[in-house]
Amino acid sequence: MFGKLKGLFGGASGVAVAAPVSGTVVPLADVSDPTFAQGILGQGAAVLPSEGRIVAPADGTVDVMFDTGHAVSMTTADGAELLIHVGIDTVQLNGQHYKACCKAGEKVTKGQTLIEFDPEAIKAAGYDTVTPVIVCNSDAYAAVKLEASGAVAAGDALLSLQQK
Amino acid sequence: MKIVEYTITDALGIHARPAGMLVKEAAKFQSDIKIASPKKEVDAKRIMGVMSLGAKQGDLVKLTIAGGDEAEAAEALELFLKQNL
Repeated sequence: MFGKLKGLFGGASGVAVAAPVSGTVVPLADVSDPTFAQGILGQGAAVLPSEGRIVAPADGTVDVMFDTGHAVSMTTADGAELLIHVGIDTVQLNGQHYKACCKAGEKVTKGQTLIEFDPEAIKAAGYDTVTPVIVCNSDAYAAVKLEASGAVAAGDALLSLQQK
Repeated sequence: MKIVEYTITDALGIHARPAGMLVKEAAKFQSDIKIASPKKEVDAKRIMGVMSLGAKQGDLVKLTIAGGDEAEAAEALELFLKQNL
């Protein structure tokens, strides 16, 4: 199944990265934080969540589950290094409204819950909940292509990484 | 080889944004640059590695820099740490 999806969305040599949350796709350049918008952390895309659950966008291993629950990084089985950062500047919430559902070193499968959060409470606290999905090792790929626009469901194709 | 030691004063430690900025700064130099927290040592030019340090306020981080531009790199990175972390 996964191989077939890769063929459909990523091309024969591409690596598929799914949306980790349902919501609306936002191009990375439109994210209000320049660290993300300028690609300092890598290329990718963002999703404005319509629900409070982040799932693994591919099979892989969790590298860092931040104590504050606002971000998680993982290395996919294909070697892509992903950072999912839930909201902008939300490190400041110091864990409030977030629940980490995985830990560093844990093997995860696509669709497994990584983080639960309360989007309404985070918005009420004055934070943007837009969630960048960043390929930290973008340089290892020929291109990071956006595969979706508008509404996406968690698990739908979001990015494809073209092998060099 | 140059060594730079710095104790993190920022209340939030090295989270995603400062990790990205630190890597961007380190990547300007040819030298091999490692950064160590009390937990482990990683390549300072890899974002995933730097984020995985989990460096918090009060932690001593140590940069080990080796290469042709190590003096310039040490100076620039020490300044970066003081200004940002």
